[in-house]
Amino acid sequence: MVSDTTVPPRKQGYRVLIARLLSEPAFTVIGLLVVYTLAVTAAVPGFLGAGTLSAIFISLLPLLIAVIGQSFVMIVAGIDLSVTATMGLTSVIAGSVMTANGGYLADSALAVPVGIFCFLFFGALVGLFNGLCVAFIRMPPFIVTLATMMFVSGAAVLYSSWHTTSVSIGGLPSGFTRIGYGTIGPIAFALILTVLVVVAADFGLRRTTWGRWLFAIGNNPTAALISGVPVRAVQVSAYTLCGTCAGLSAMIYSARLETGTPVLSQNLLLDIIGSAVIGGVSLFGGRGSVLAAFLGVLLLTVIDKGMQFIGLTLFVVLSVKGAIILLAAVLDALRLRYAEGKS
Amino acid sequence: MNRREFTKAALLGAVAAGLPIASFAQGSRTIAVMFDSLQSPFWISSFDAFKAEIAERGWTMLENISNLDDSRQFQQVQSMIERGVDGIVIVQTDANAVIPAIRAANAAGIPMVHYNRPPAESDAKSVAVQADNRTIMRDTVTALVEEAKKQGGKYKAALLIGDLGDQNAIARRDGFFDVVDQNTDTVEVVARIATEWNADVAFAGLTNALQANPDINFLVTSSDFLHPQIEQALKVAGKWHKRGEEGHVLFAGFDGDEGGYARLADGYLDAVGVQNVFFEVDLTLNALQDMWDGKEVDDLLLDPGFVITPYNFEEKRDEMWGYLVWKSQNG
Repeated sequence: MVSDTTVPPRKQGYRVLIARLLSEPAFTVIGLLVVYTLAVTAAVPGFLGAGTLSAIFISLLPLLIAVIGQSFVMIVAGIDLSVTATMGLTSVIAGSVMTANGGYLADSALAVPVGIFCFLFFGALVGLFNGLCVAFIRMPPFIVTLATMMFVSGAAVLYSSWHTTSVSIGGLPSGFTRIGYGTIGPIAFALILTVLVVVAADFGLRRTTWGRWLFAIGNNPTAALISGVPVRAVQVSAYTLCGTCAGLSAMIYSARLETGTPVLSQNLLLDIIGSAVIGGVSLFGGRGSVLAAFLGVLLLTVIDKGMQFIGLTLFVVLSVKGAIILLAAVLDALRLRYAEGKS
Repeated sequence: MNRREFTKAALLGAVAAGLPIASFAQGSRTIAVMFDSLQSPFWISSFDAFKAEIAERGWTMLENISNLDDSRQFQQVQSMIERGVDGIVIVQTDANAVIPAIRAANAAGIPMVHYNRPPAESDAKSVAVQADNRTIMRDTVTALVEEAKKQGGKYKAALLIGDLGDQNAIARRDGFFDVVDQNTDTVEVVARIATEWNADVAFAGLTNALQANPDINFLVTSSDFLHPQIEQALKVAGKWHKRGEEGHVLFAGFDGDEGGYARLADGYLDAVGVQNVFFEVDLTLNALQDMWDGKEVDDLLLDPGFVITPYNFEEKRDEMWGYLVWKSQNG
């Protein structure tokens, strides 16, 4: 009561605004999106055209899948730095199976299904390894996944070099590349795949016990354990799903490039983690949603697209994206402090 | 200023900031110049040459750098197509991964020219401008082997190989072996160092090779941008000596950048295979012009390049782009 009467009304208004911004980062993201889009449209009028908007939407799909996977891990207060290396590894393994240039199943009807299986299986395998190390050996996620990143990216280049004289594997079958470009009726196949992932992830996070366990572990793993949550198993499941999502994302990227490459999306790690943080998935765990992941991915993709349209130099692009991700991380830390202050 | 006024001012500022860009893009032809990186003097000089030549022709240039990311470059190509550019000049990272981008440009009817790096074979239509890497490297290594034979003795060779996702790196490697395989009585290859076009990787690889084979006395790099790392590694190994001094390592480079020129002039380098940046830039833009004019253009346009050695140094250096860069930097 005392504090309410001593704070001037104008100052209270700012506090309410700050509290709202911190508790609902979606408002900040949407505001930034509107301002940025208006600014770019002023510079390049064609930016708001249907073709561009559709291209933005289609291009963000594989990134969204990878970010959703990363969100599972971040909600349990972990982090997976190996996702892009996993994407490279799955890309070359699947590529080596499917390629018409001497692939293991070249020209076989099984090539595409087995290739797809490779993306998912080897993605899950790397995720499972990370999860086991974090949950059972109690290794810090940062170190485990950093080491996995180094090992897996090296292994991917080595594996690729056994199968081709160059680094990348081309000649992927059209049945596979259709995943990147093809449509079922008027709807892009990649969109259908992504919507399935989005719906399943959202359902899993919001409507299942497993989802509640993830948030409980992220907020307080000790309290979750005492409450009967199978903490280790849930952590392993989060990392395994993250790896699987990385494989799925790699599948769409590889199909679009018609190439299996060990350096697939190797510079995408900051975009993946940054998108999640921008949308409001907390680096400190216990907070996140599929909508948050989507908003973060949408903002970064629109920013990228806008700067591509204007034709700005790479250094400007990197600086702007880095500044926005930094701002989001600062807001995340402030949000935690605000929440702690309230409790 | 209240919050509403601030918001209005911010929006107006953002719009005003965009206006110069909008008006700048009103040229007769708009070209997207899309490099994968600017990580070596060759690419920086090429990029600058494009800027200058495009301005000279009265066209407008939009630049995009993909930071060695194939997926990002594909998205950038799509953006440029949506932007309605008249032509695309591209330096891709990966010869296979660029094929969907060519297809997208084909579908939009926008001509695409690959600068200095050809794509992998496919049904997609584009033009590539490329140095004749294999021949230039072959001639360069031939000059080095002739020098070795002139001096006499047996030589232990190290080759710094580029990123094998790059067709140029493969051609340069093959050009090297075309010559040394015919001269095994003079040269034995003891180290093949994969640099992935990364200076740190090259330095570590060469340092390890020199420790494992301290008798290396014949060195070829697939790109001049690695010279600083090579110099450092040779200095650490006590092998950085000028021509005519005892312990001089026979050393050849490729590209013809300002570092290559300076080391050749100073006597540390014995041969450089030179790509002609200005010729290749002209060839690229002329190809675009020809395609707009409906003329037939060959799929591959070659820059024959040349080799510069201490013996033709005075005669050839004016054709070396690195010399012109060096001269502009050093007066």
